[in-house]
Amino acid sequence: MAATALPRSEAGPADRQRSLARFLAEASEADAVEIARVALLPGGAIQENWAIDAEFDGGRLSGVQRLVLRTDSSTGVPSSLGRVEEFAVLQAAFAAGVTVPEPLFACADAAVLGKPFFVMRRVAGSALGRPITLDPALEPMRPALAERLGRELARMQSIRPPHVDLDFLITTGAGEHIAGFRAYLDGHPNPRPVLEWVIRWAETHLPDPLPPVLCHRDFRTGNYMLDGAKLTAILDWEFAGWGDPDEDIGWLCCKGWRFGRLDREAGGIAERAPFYRGYESESGRRLDPERVKFWEVMANLRWAVIALQQSDRFLVGGSRNLSTAITGRRATECELELLMLLDPGGIAEYAHA
Amino acid sequence: MRDLPVSRDLLALARELLLDELLPLLPPERARDAHLIATSMAIAAREAAGGGWREELIGQLCEFYGEDGSLDRFAADLRNGAFETSPSRERAARAILWQLTIAKLREGNPHFLAANGFTQAGLKGE
Repeated sequence: MAATALPRSEAGPADRQRSLARFLAEASEADAVEIARVALLPGGAIQENWAIDAEFDGGRLSGVQRLVLRTDSSTGVPSSLGRVEEFAVLQAAFAAGVTVPEPLFACADAAVLGKPFFVMRRVAGSALGRPITLDPALEPMRPALAERLGRELARMQSIRPPHVDLDFLITTGAGEHIAGFRAYLDGHPNPRPVLEWVIRWAETHLPDPLPPVLCHRDFRTGNYMLDGAKLTAILDWEFAGWGDPDEDIGWLCCKGWRFGRLDREAGGIAERAPFYRGYESESGRRLDPERVKFWEVMANLRWAVIALQQSDRFLVGGSRNLSTAITGRRATECELELLMLLDPGGIAEYAHA
Repeated sequence: MRDLPVSRDLLALARELLLDELLPLLPPERARDAHLIATSMAIAAREAAGGGWREELIGQLCEFYGEDGSLDRFAADLRNGAFETSPSRERAARAILWQLTIAKLREGNPHFLAANGFTQAGLKGE
């Protein structure tokens, strides 16, 4: 059964609900707000998303509203943005015409719910990866969806530094990512020779840099919502920062995000061509396959490190969660993909050995 | 001598019980947890069966270095690009990387190996 009490704080659930209603009324200039339903939405290992149904008496949201309240879960990771910062990124994306839930209010005051949060409109649809890649009903629409995702990404990348509302974002280029991967491996108990070999490859094949853009850093199948075949929202902006325009392209095409359709290289939904076409026509920038390959290699490195970090929650952090503990095993899947990308001759040699 | 049935057989029976009889009784939102448990049991069974690949790997590293070799040393050398000036050494190093990765996946996720076109992926009994 879904949880129905708002995030834990020292106040009780009824107090928190009243506190939230007061906040919403003040933020929307309503005379009063009555909250009819609160339910924890599934997913969200790093953040909690709460569905809120509320009736606003007057103000700019007058009437019944379906909202989502987003706040930190107990398993938040340090590299992700705070909720107020994520709200600012969402506002910038919304203003740039990216398909995101309309951001409404942010609250940094821990006195309201015990931790910062923001509120956005609730949109229809589901983001579950496997139905998106495997549902036969979506078959004819998938190339158009891939093209649309390319356009959305290009629109997102129209947000560039300096940006007065996003001055907290840092720029992370390939060199910084590589240093981060090595720093992680230095503290890891088991040697990972494949990752070391590939990091060395990346270090010696750095592409010429392009001017930084807004990177989502988790732009992939599983992080956008579809209502039927209609794209309704791009979600989960907590890893956003400034970076290379091809970083998100490599991430979406990374084999780890194809959900049972390894043959469809654009997020498990289509060939690369429609995705690239949408991106190129919206951005006016022609993609360079070598640059994309570099960032796909980087995506696999990053996914491998994230997978190992997940199992660290058990190995180091004392978590008893089986799902995160077993995720570390996926690093070896990334290593196979990296070998296939960088040593394609080895496939024929070892596939039937 | 251990009592019978051996742990590999017990794990296989337990996994069958979980997937065939208990899983249908679980609420849908716990099905993924049951599959995670079944996956963990399958990994444990394959690792317990072993394949001697770790000994083979150490042997390959000793041959590669012409003296005692370890995975730590190999990883450090790869970080530093130690074999990049010798095509034959570089090729031999890559062979070890492939064999290490395939051996780990045969135990950890043979389905992924098979999905990528790698035959003899160790799927016996699944």
